[in-house]
Formats: sequence, C-alpha cells, structure tokens
Amino acid sequence: MNTKQTRRRTVVSMLLIVVFVALFMVKLVDIQIVQASAFNEESLGKRSIPATIYSERGKIVDANGIILADSVMRYNVTISPKNTKDFLRVTDRADVTITPQQAAVEIGNITGQKPEEILKIVADALAANPLSDFAYVVKGVDVDKFRALNALGIPWLYSEPSPGRSYPNGSVAGNLLGYVGQDGLAQAGIELTSNECLAGVNGEENYQRGADGVRIPGSTVTSVQSQDGSSIKLTIDSDLQWFTQQVLAKQVDATGAKWGTVVVQEVKTGKLLAVADYPTVDPNNVGGTAEANRGSLAFMAPFEPGSTIKALTAASLLDAGLAEPNSQVLAPYSIEFPNGAKVHDASMHGVLQLTLTGVLEQSSNVGITQLGEVLSAEKRYDYLSKFGFGATTAVGFQAESTGILHPWQEWDNQTYYNTMFGQGLATTAIQVASAYQALGNHGVRLPVQLVEGCVAPDGTLTPTKLPAPTQVVSDAAATTTVNMLENFVTKGWISKYISIPGYRIAAKTGTAEQSAGDGTYSNSYIVSNAALIPANDPQYVVTVTIASPASNGSMASPPVLKAVMAQVLKKYRVEPSPDGAPDLPIRF
Amino acid sequence: MSHPPRTSSRRSSRTGSRGQVTPPPSSSSVDSFLTARINLGKVFRADSPDFFLLLGLTIVLTIMGLLMVLSASSVDSFLQNGQFFGAFGRQAAFAAIGLPVMMVLSQLPLVFWRKWALAILVIGSIAQLLVFTPLGYESGGNRNWINIAGFTAQPSEFLKLAIVIWLGVALPVSIRRNGAANWKVLLTLVPALIPIGLVLLGGDLGTVIIMGMITIGAIFFAGVKLRIILIPVALGAAMVGVMAVTSPNRMARIFSFLSENCIDYTNSCWQPLHGKWALAGGGIFGVGLGNSKAKWSWLPAADNDYIFAIIGEELGLIGAALVLVLFVLLAVAFTRIIKKANDPMVRIVTGGIMVWIVGQAFVNIGVVLGVFPVLGVPLPLLSSGGTALIASLLAIGVVLSFTRAPSTFK
Repeated sequence: MNTKQTRRRTVVSMLLIVVFVALFMVKLVDIQIVQASAFNEESLGKRSIPATIYSERGKIVDANGIILADSVMRYNVTISPKNTKDFLRVTDRADVTITPQQAAVEIGNITGQKPEEILKIVADALAANPLSDFAYVVKGVDVDKFRALNALGIPWLYSEPSPGRSYPNGSVAGNLLGYVGQDGLAQAGIELTSNECLAGVNGEENYQRGADGVRIPGSTVTSVQSQDGSSIKLTIDSDLQWFTQQVLAKQVDATGAKWGTVVVQEVKTGKLLAVADYPTVDPNNVGGTAEANRGSLAFMAPFEPGSTIKALTAASLLDAGLAEPNSQVLAPYSIEFPNGAKVHDASMHGVLQLTLTGVLEQSSNVGITQLGEVLSAEKRYDYLSKFGFGATTAVGFQAESTGILHPWQEWDNQTYYNTMFGQGLATTAIQVASAYQALGNHGVRLPVQLVEGCVAPDGTLTPTKLPAPTQVVSDAAATTTVNMLENFVTKGWISKYISIPGYRIAAKTGTAEQSAGDGTYSNSYIVSNAALIPANDPQYVVTVTIASPASNGSMASPPVLKAVMAQVLKKYRVEPSPDGAPDLPIRF
Repeated sequence: MSHPPRTSSRRSSRTGSRGQVTPPPSSSSVDSFLTARINLGKVFRADSPDFFLLLGLTIVLTIMGLLMVLSASSVDSFLQNGQFFGAFGRQAAFAAIGLPVMMVLSQLPLVFWRKWALAILVIGSIAQLLVFTPLGYESGGNRNWINIAGFTAQPSEFLKLAIVIWLGVALPVSIRRNGAANWKVLLTLVPALIPIGLVLLGGDLGTVIIMGMITIGAIFFAGVKLRIILIPVALGAAMVGVMAVTSPNRMARIFSFLSENCIDYTNSCWQPLHGKWALAGGGIFGVGLGNSKAKWSWLPAADNDYIFAIIGEELGLIGAALVLVLFVLLAVAFTRIIKKANDPMVRIVTGGIMVWIVGQAFVNIGVVLGVFPVLGVPLPLLSSGGTALIASLLAIGVVLSFTRAPSTFK
C-alpha cells in the first residue's frame, strides 16, 4: 500500500466520521432544542407529581405571648381495601407472611383501635364497592404513631398529611378559643371569628419521582408559594384565666349550679383579661363537652340581670340631674303604680326611709322604680342602649348574643318599671361588665376588646379595629355612682363576704328570677355580682355570674368575686387605697 | 543554545533510535560528558506529539467516564447494595489498573506484538470458550461473561484486541504473497472468524457487529482492494440480517426503532424513549452534573449503554458535543499515526483499533440518538464496565507503543 492510497483511505474514514458527527449533531439539536419542550412535556407527564404545600395556621397567644393554640402536622391513615391481603415481610431471620388479621392487630396496637374495627372498615368498604381502593382507618394521628405505622411496612396502608391543631394549655380559655375540625377548617370561637388572620394559604408544588416512586431531590418546583397564617394575640392573661376558671369551677360544682361565668376587664382600656366559663371545653377533645357548653356563655348566654342594673338607673338619674345620692324615697315592701304595674322587694320589710344610696344598699325595687320614674322611658332606653345593652359588643364573638332590650315603645306597663331593676331585659355577662367599665372610667364606655390584634409572621401587629368610645354618663354621675356602690360594700349585707382590707371596692349584686320561657318566671335564679376595684381609682371590673345554684342562693357568687378580686389585686400589684370609702347617708 | 544537553539529547535520541552506528565521540572530556548525558536521555526520551495527543485524549475520556459513571450509577448502586459509590468504585479500580498497564504496554517494542500475536489470539479464544463452561454465565440474554472467584469479565473485549493484533501481523504477509487485489487474502481472516463465531454462539450480536467492523477496518487499512472488501461486508451484512430476523427480541427492537410513535411503552420502547427524554431534559446547557432525573430508576443501563443520554441530560448539548469532539480528536490522533506509519502492521492495528474505539462509540451514540436500533454496545472509555475499559486502554496502549517505535515511521 502506497502513501497515496493510505492518505485516500484515511481521508475516506475521516469523511465518514464527519458525516456521522454531522448526523449526530443534527439529531442532538433536534432532540435537545427543537423537540425538547414536547419531549419534556411527555416525560413530565410520567414523572411529575403535584403536591400541596401546607401552610401553617397562625398561633393564638395570650397577652404575654403564651401559646394557647398551635399548629401541628397530623396524618390520616388510609387503607386500600381491595388490596388488603396477605403480604410477605422480609426480616433478617426469615420471610414471614402477614395476614390482614395480623396486620390489623399491629395497626390497632398503634392507633388504639380494636382489630375487629379495622377489619370492619375494610369489609364495609368492600361491601359498598368491591374495588374500593380507599378508606380511612383513623384520622389525625400524631407523628410518633405515623412513624410507627410506617415502620410496619404494610403495603396496603397509606397516609395523607392533615394539618392539625394543638391546644397546649388544654381547657384554659378553651371556651374562647373554639376549635378546628379534622379538615383543618375553623369551627368555633376565635378560631372561627379570627379565621381571616389565622388561616394560611396553601401552596402548590410539583416534584418528579423516580420510577420506584422516590421523590427526586432537587426536582421540586413550587408553582404557588404557601403563605403561613398570622397569629392572634389576645388580651387574655392565661394565668388569670386559669385562676378564674379554677375558682369558678369549684364554686359551680359546690353549689350545684348549672353554669357560671367570670369576667375580668381592664377599666381604662376595655380589654378583657379573663373570661371564664363553666362548664369548660378542652379544644383538644371537643367531644368531651356537651355541644351547648362549647362556646363562651359569657358572650352567648343572655339572662335577666336583676339588681346590678339599678346602679345604671341611678347613674342615669344623676346624669340627667333628676336625682342625687341623698334623694329621698319612702320604700314599702311593695307598691302598685297608677298604670297597674306591681313591684315588690325581694324580702318582706316595713316602709323604709331611703336615700338613693340606701336604695342601692338595700337593693330596693320599690325605691328605684319610684325614684327612676321621673326619667322618661325613652331616656332610660337611650341610657341602657349607651351602656351597651341590646347590641353585641365590639368583640363580635361567635354567636354573641345582643341580649334583649325591647324598644321603649314596646314596653308594657310592668316592663316600664321592671327595666329599672334589671328585669324585662336580658344581658350577657360581658355587657354587664362593659356597663360597669363605663361607671369606673368617668362615664366613658370603651369598646370591649378580646383580641389585641393580628401578628403577621414578620412580627408586625395589626391592632384590632375598635369603634369610638361612648360617653354614657357624665364623669360626676359615674364617680358618684361608684361612691354609692362603695357604700353597699361597706354597709350592706355583702360586706363581710367580699371586703378586702386596704382596698376600696364598689360592687352590686343581682339575683334575678329567670324566665320559664312562657312569659312567667321560673323558680331558678341567676346570681351575679359586678365590682370595680379599687373604687378610689377603678382599674378592673370583675363580674361573676352563677346560674341556678341549688344551694346558697345569693351567697353562691360572692366567694368567687372575692377570690378573683384578691387575685387581680395581687397579680397586678394594685396599690392599697389611700383613704377610706366616702360615707354617704343611706337613710333619712 | 542555552541548554546544550537537551539539544544533544534530542539529536542522539533520533540517531540512536535509527539504529545507526554513532560515530565514535571525540576524545575530549566534554564529549565524553555529553555521551554520558545522551545515554541518560534515552531513558527520558521525549515522545512524539501523537503519543501525547492520544494519551491525553484517553485520560480525559477515562476521567470523564469515571465522573459520569459516578453520577449515573449512584442511585441504582444505592438501591442494589446501599452504597452510592459501588459502581464508581469498581470503575475507578479498573481505571487504576488499566491506565498503568496501558503505560507499560506503550513501552513494548513492535517485535513483541509480532511474536505473540497468534498466542494472544489462541489464549483469547480459549478464554471465550470458558463462557460455555460452568464458569460462564448469561446476562441480558447474552452468554458472554465468565465469573472466576467472584471476579466477572467479558473475554470478548480482550478478543477484539487479539483479533486486531493478529490481523496486523497476518495480513501484510498474505498481501505480500497474494497481492492486494486477490480474494485469497481473505483466507487470512479465517482464524479471526473463529473467535467471532464463538461470541456469536453466545448470542452477543452487538459485540459481533463491532468485531466485524474491526475486521473490515483492518483489511481496509491493510490496503486490500475495495472490491475484495465488499465480499466480507456483504457476507457480514447478510449474516446480521439473518440473526436479526430469527430472533423475536431483536425484531421487536427493530420494529420499535422503525415505528414513528412508540407503541410498546413498557417494553421495547422504554429504554430508547427514556434516553430521548433524558437528552431533551438537558437542553443546551444541561441540568448540571448529578442532577439527572432519568437516572432515578427510569433509564435502564444509565451508567452503561445509555451513559451518553445522561451526559446529554446533565451536561446538555454542549457536553454531548464535547464527547463527539473528543472522539473525533481521537480519530484524528489515530489517523495521524496511520498516515505516518511505515509498517503495514501499524496501519492495520491502529486502523482496527480506531474502528473499535471510535466506531463503537458512534454505534453507541447512534443508538442513544435513535439513529440505529438498540444494539447493546457500551460507549468505549466512558461507559461503566471493567473489562471493556481495560481492553480499550490496552488497545490504546498498543497504539501508543507504535508511536514510540519511530523505526516504523517514514
């Protein structure tokens, strides 16, 4: 072979190589550029899996940042009934065949179900549809159980993430917090009313899987970013809340009452510091409490308040300039007014010569109606409205009651008088607290506040929007009323039950017959107290309401009032009152 | 000259290697000193540019292969034995053996190959026969493997080298005797056809086709007339056709290759389709080293026959084109050696090995790109597979040894 031939043949071989390389380059460009998007679409169709990015629902914290409601990841355990068959478990020692019965025992040991229950789920699903591929075994198991179930390696057992809610403080403020359903949707309470703040927005992502189903690292593409919810900051102090719930629960049980509430409100801000309800609900176990008691009765249960309203009638009279603390009245046990309305006092007594202060001290229905009559029904209605009755508070609690305050035009002859001493109208415990807050705050009623605001994930707090305060009565009228109520505590029957040495207290009790629902009154009473402490410069309103106590009657609530007041004074380190209560004449 | 010793070293190397009698040095002490330097220079003689071009390309391809094997095999390797580096470790070990052995072979003189060519062919054939003993085993439908004490090997890979060396020795003799235009030169091929037949018996048609290509390449670069070469080409093509038609598996692969849209997604289409999807996923710049999606159990033989798809996916069109360029440069290196060769054996062996390395690479790439039906041949130097890597390195070692035997050059 000569040089020329060699050269020719190497040229031929190189040409051949160039031809192939050119062909390959054309194919490469075709596959990797020209048709790439079409191929990618096909391959993603086989590999890509859409998934939900769960957002975290915001926390609910108390005024000090103590977590009352938190988000956790829970798992729903599901099963493929049609595939519920024997499977082979490979262990180090030997391969074991596991029957559905054995598997059910293993699952039940973790979930706490009986094996029969699990097998029944399978049987029921198959009965409904022989090809059933999906049924829930149990919903909302925690991570530990989820891992234990995974470790069983049962091929027909699956799970799906299900964001859950945890209430680390149990029933503390449970009636306020409400709860979230298994589906992650808010069902009641603050969870529901503040849902807009708390709820996050779930995102969407796509990831690619290996042929064996493994999620390929780095293949996740987020199409919609999830947004975590914001947190709700309450005005509630969880420690005080716990204390009030404890004291209340003990007394409601001891007196055989149906239910009770305690409200502690800050006079100068309108913020609720504690709203105790009994029976309580543990949001972690909503089913453990009867449906009627799952909400906050303080907001939701209207009742005829009785004598606590007399203080408001007195304040209205003072404000209108139609009475003063020394205004005099002759108060027999009972009285019949010209329009035919009959009013009598709670207990038999002779004709008393009472001042307005004395009317409050004696809690005389006959006295307050005679003195209050000078104020027109329309005016009294206006005052009651401004004190907040007949409308929900600014809190807007879920299913909050407006109470019942009929327009003055609809008042019949009896109601015309009864409304002056708290019958013929219905209020909630919160409304009573709010009205007394106005008395303590120079006549200015501040909007009731339960939610401090919405705290975004970055920490910025958006305060709750509040309506404007209302000047209900004049500063003088309010302060004078407080002074009169002090005289009830210093001179009335309650003195020995609620007095706290060193502190001036203004309080009023109410013991009201409750409607039997047919226009008559039943035998049951709701006893309530409303107090302002310290009376020299009111800082806190405390109301206690106990419904239908079987024993003790009016004496059911004062021990709770005293305990709560003492706790509030201690907790907030309230300075003792510098001077004694003003001594106003109660008789003439 | 600032470095007289180096200059003289080069000069003396040239003269020394031509076997000419060096004129007796002058009796000056300076000259004696230079002579001493010349002798040392023989040991550290500078090799030709072709040597370094071929060596460099081989090392670059081998390292790139290791890198891509690591990436492509890690997932499968983990699924099989819980170790991400399993297949990579084996490949690296074989490279660590193959590269030094290649360097050793590159030092051997031409006479060594002449002397041992037949013996190598016989030993290779015997090794191939072991495939049919209990030592042999079947993999992927081909009985082409032996397993000795846990070490597995593919004797057919070494057989490729044995055939090409033997043809390099035998063909020039036959051509000298019969002339380049005589069909009788083809009789020289018979001893090479025996081991090819053995491989065919094992059922590995892909390897047989490569061996056939190597043989054709050898007679092409031996200078046999084209009309004579047509005879074995035609016979070989006919035989491949018969082999294909008689095997349902092969026919399925061919039909799936011919059909425009894939019908049998889960079987015959799976591998080519996922190979194509892998390439498409790479685009121009690739998804980045290690980021292949296809290697997650989708693409069978991702580290082996379809490693080019993974290269295309991870390194993109740029990486795939780079591989093509490297093989073209390899062909350039081989061609330079062929053109410079004085000895027909160098031309034949280098030509045969070029067809082997570059030709097999093109067949492999052609399969991945859908230009050819699935043949099941790995990508030389890049694919995972110890025997194939060592055999390829040994072959290149032989060619390297030619560049170091300047007597063969004009």
